[in-house]
Amino acid sequence: MKRFGIMLLIVSIFCLVAAPVMAANINLVIPLPLTGKQAKFGEIMKRSYEIAVEEINAKGGVKGQKLAISFEDSTGKPEIARSIVEKLIGTKKQPIIVGEYTSACAKAVAAVAEERKTPYLVVASADDNITQQKYKYVFRQNAVNSHYSDGVADYFKKIVKPSTIAILYESSAFGTSGAEAMRKDAKAMGIKVVVDEKYEAGSVDFKPILSKVKAAKPDVVYMVSYVMDASLLMKQIKELRIDAKQFAGGAAGFAIPEFLQNAKDAAEYVISATLWTEKLKYPGAKEYANKYKAKYGDFPSYHGASAYASLYVVADALKRAKDMQPESIRAAMKATNLMTAFGPVKFEDKEGYQNQNFNDTFVIQVQKGVFETIWPENHASKKYIFPVPTWKDRR
Amino acid sequence: MEVLLQTLIAGLLLGGLYALIGLGMTLIMGVMKIINLAHGELMMVGMYVAYVLFSAFHIDPYLSIIVVAPLLFLLGIVFQKYLINPVLRVEAILPENQVILTVGIGMVLANVATIIFSSNYQSTPVSYATTAWYLTDFWKGAPLELSLSLPWSVSFVFAIFITTGLWFFLSKTDTGKSIRATAQDYDAALLMGVNVKKMRVVTFGLGSALVGSAGCLFIPIYYLYPDLGGQFTLIAFVITILGGLGSTIGAIIGGIILGVFESLTATYLGMGWAPVGRFAIFILALIFIPGGIVSLFKKRRLAR
Repeated sequence: MKRFGIMLLIVSIFCLVAAPVMAANINLVIPLPLTGKQAKFGEIMKRSYEIAVEEINAKGGVKGQKLAISFEDSTGKPEIARSIVEKLIGTKKQPIIVGEYTSACAKAVAAVAEERKTPYLVVASADDNITQQKYKYVFRQNAVNSHYSDGVADYFKKIVKPSTIAILYESSAFGTSGAEAMRKDAKAMGIKVVVDEKYEAGSVDFKPILSKVKAAKPDVVYMVSYVMDASLLMKQIKELRIDAKQFAGGAAGFAIPEFLQNAKDAAEYVISATLWTEKLKYPGAKEYANKYKAKYGDFPSYHGASAYASLYVVADALKRAKDMQPESIRAAMKATNLMTAFGPVKFEDKEGYQNQNFNDTFVIQVQKGVFETIWPENHASKKYIFPVPTWKDRR
Repeated sequence: MEVLLQTLIAGLLLGGLYALIGLGMTLIMGVMKIINLAHGELMMVGMYVAYVLFSAFHIDPYLSIIVVAPLLFLLGIVFQKYLINPVLRVEAILPENQVILTVGIGMVLANVATIIFSSNYQSTPVSYATTAWYLTDFWKGAPLELSLSLPWSVSFVFAIFITTGLWFFLSKTDTGKSIRATAQDYDAALLMGVNVKKMRVVTFGLGSALVGSAGCLFIPIYYLYPDLGGQFTLIAFVITILGGLGSTIGAIIGGIILGVFESLTATYLGMGWAPVGRFAIFILALIFIPGGIVSLFKKRRLAR
């Protein structure tokens, strides 16, 4: 006990001495889901922030100061995210907030940031109305959910040219808004929606609704699902031999490596929307992806890329801001025009959104068991494969 | 027509698997008069064992039944002997505190699985996962195209084998007869010299082994994660009520009815309605046939 007391004393003295030295840094605390259901995404993002901060500091940091980041676990719960940010702004006087993953958490954080007049950069939360609330201090780097399917819709229009579509989606906020966006796109292109069905996540057997899809003979099938439902859907589509011209997914479950592992050959030729892939021709994208892979054995998803780029955006804004006050940082953020590994970043007010970055969305296709970027063509890593062979001819 | 037939096939296959899940709970319900709410979690344990065997030793999930069933049998015995029996003896304010205990067991199992395997989704990507037979492959001029999935069919056949095996065990062996006697009348069985305590332990083991095997049959066509149990406990519960508490035949029929009904609602009402349909059946069964499907048979026999 006594020894413990002495140790505590030494540690506290050390802290007192160390504190002034550390003050030369710019400290950023990033709220993230590190435990709970979204922990997987939190982990990808945390690693990416760490890679970015290392690089930024190696290049000389921000205005001669080093950037120091640490993380706080919000467990994916809005109330916890909110209290973390209250603390950061209130007691730590952090001049800018970055982070969070789920839309619900980002909404909570955005409300606090706006109220306390501190800029907040949303990194990977998709819900449309985060940047639709006339907030002045909230910036978003990733595309909004209703634009996720833009790439796919464009591909449909130019290559597939369907006249009918079946839309299957999960009955969650993400699923419903994704389906709504596709419905609008379909209407604009004059495509008739022949099947429009939602399902409960975690269902065992999709064959009943898939039989219905089969009977309706749509040209394309568009699905919005999370991880495992995506592969079950494709497996059972293969079983029933539904021959649509094209099967497409709306990001999430269709754009992660688990989809390939689980659906195997049923995943072949499926296209999906995505915000980023490691094969894009953005400066630094490949370097970042390779660095991540070398360290953690897997390529990062778009969540990681956005997190990685976000620190560059923040560092850039801090460099241009005339001082470290939230107000001047906000002005600098607003003037951002930066090319990052995640693509060009520029915060615009249009289409009813404020401070929203409108980056391109891409289409990936599974070719020989790997994701290849196929659309838009100037970013393509491989040429798209269309028409898709029927299930009978695939053996 | 094609849609209807394909839906019925899907429903029948699903129902066969549901029946196996329901059987274990029904058996325990019949003998011990308690609802085992850790049922789905026991299935989850069976699935994780099959998953580990598959990923570490490449043992086919179907083969792993040989390991999973005895293992779950032992686990069930341990639960019954050291957790549930002591609670049965204690006088408590709540008469059903064994049921609450099973909820606790379920939570512990789910959390232990989260600690060991994390909450990630896992699956056993077997090579035959998407193999299927098609009507037009066998009969060139078939007017409609129907398909039958290989893993689903294999699971179904296994479920039938296990169920028949169970039926033989219950009707032909001494232990089986004793279990049935205990289920029918606890006191009478006791007076007739049946070792009732032992039968309870064996039954709990048997119920666990059954649902564990059901897990092995499910994993090639589904996936797993630690919180999957609740969903299947619910299904088993609905089947138990529908089939008539404690009746084996009732559970089999109940399972198939539920499977077919769910598939039909999914096709003709929309898939979002499937869970609603499940509870509609549950409530209707409670109101109109409180004795379950078996009670319908019994009535007719009496009338004759």
